[in-house]
Amino acid sequence: MKKYLQIFKLSFQQEFAYRLNFVMWRVRNILQIILTFFLWSSVFKNPETSVFGYNQEKILTYVFGILILRAIVFSARAVDVAGEISNGDITNFLLKPISYFKYWATRDTASKVLNLSFSVVEITILFVILRPHLFLQTNLLILFAVFVFLILAVILFFCLLFITNMSAFWMPENGWAAQFLFIAIITDFLSGGVFPLDILPYTFQKVLYSTPFPYLLFFPLQVYLGKIAGLEIIRGLVTSFAWVFILFMSVRFIWAKGLKRYSAEGR
Amino acid sequence: MSRNSFLAVFNQKAALTIFLVGKLIRFFFFFAFIVFLLKGTKSLAGYNLNQTLLFFFTFNLIDTISQFLFREVYRFRPLIVSGGFDLVLSKPINALFRSLMGGADVIDLITIIPLTIATFYVASLLNPSILHTTFYILLVLNGLVIASAFHIFVLGLGIVTLEIDHTIMIYRDLTALGRFPIDIYKEPLRGIITFLIPIGVMVSFPAKAIMGLMSPIGVAWSLVFGGLILFLSLKFWKFALKKYTSASS
Repeated sequence: MKKYLQIFKLSFQQEFAYRLNFVMWRVRNILQIILTFFLWSSVFKNPETSVFGYNQEKILTYVFGILILRAIVFSARAVDVAGEISNGDITNFLLKPISYFKYWATRDTASKVLNLSFSVVEITILFVILRPHLFLQTNLLILFAVFVFLILAVILFFCLLFITNMSAFWMPENGWAAQFLFIAIITDFLSGGVFPLDILPYTFQKVLYSTPFPYLLFFPLQVYLGKIAGLEIIRGLVTSFAWVFILFMSVRFIWAKGLKRYSAEGR
Repeated sequence: MSRNSFLAVFNQKAALTIFLVGKLIRFFFFFAFIVFLLKGTKSLAGYNLNQTLLFFFTFNLIDTISQFLFREVYRFRPLIVSGGFDLVLSKPINALFRSLMGGADVIDLITIIPLTIATFYVASLLNPSILHTTFYILLVLNGLVIASAFHIFVLGLGIVTLEIDHTIMIYRDLTALGRFPIDIYKEPLRGIITFLIPIGVMVSFPAKAIMGLMSPIGVAWSLVFGGLILFLSLKFWKFALKKYTSASS
């Protein structure tokens, strides 16, 4: 446990070593939020408007909620795993008495803590400037459900990211391309990171609910907004747990297969 | 140079395919989003579905062409950091041309033709007059001039500050604000992205012109503005070149 605490501290310091890098990343996040905020503000110019089951208050809460949830779920350092596999650096870890998964989970946690702290500051600033009416959930049971969904979302994303990165075992030069396609585009869109998924046709939504993607951002936010309740929450929890199990087993399977193929190129 | 760049990309067929598929999926997702959104809301900032789609297609057209032409900018930092830019300066080719357009991107080239056809199809649905179509073409070209100026500024900043990667990504994020009509933004943001960082002139004005929402004076002013920005960027490039220290070489 002590060594992972040390990794956490080092990782935290490392993020600060590249301050400009980090600040620019946050600036980019803010720009994306500004685009989404004004887009939805324009649609809900009239506070009485109700479209896709949202009113102005709920859609703007969705926009701000995405900023926080992205920091919690999508902030991860495990994006570097593909690079370590392709240049052979992973060998160093295989020889050390340390779990490679726990190592990256710890580094991801450091990244999440840092990004979350910054996103809270950004939200405060944006809140003061834009003065949106936000929806505050006060039901403790619902808040607890959101918390559980968030933990599951973090695990799901970790598994998805690891599986994508492990493609570098088979195509060492294209690990980052796979990440661009599956993480930056497919996961971002299908998780509700760009727009709420309930504007899509009902059949498409139904299919989407059987995949792990909506449970990363969209579902937890819907639970928070009170748009999903009762039996649907239970159904969501069961699906989320099932995906955590499937993806976790897939990670282990692909890791074992990948290691057999790994030949420490570059070492 | 472009042929070499194309050959390099064709050698990595898997990466080429993945990126192409990724770009198409992203385009399709945004397209679907606009269609479903406008089906529910009927209008966005006063524009109907076809008009909003034209803003989106025009943004993509200008963005894709500038990415196709100026991809080399994304590879400029290593040259500056390593001092390899010395070799560019010593060759009998314009250093700005080499740094700006020395490696066209084949992935974007593949998408330009269908995108142009689709843009003109969406534009034709608005039944524009010949004059408004001419304005549109002129302003799209002007948008490319402004995009060139932005990239030259980024190169100049790269020489002065050694920072390229984030500046270019922030430029991309800022231009993405033009994916939708700039009328959705409130003041002072709308003013800033129209005049200070002229994304509005670059990607929104062409679409407005074809809808007959721009006067001939507005079009002329935009062209002058584009020329001025390009002039300033060239001045900045010359200033930056004088600051180049050839470090690490």
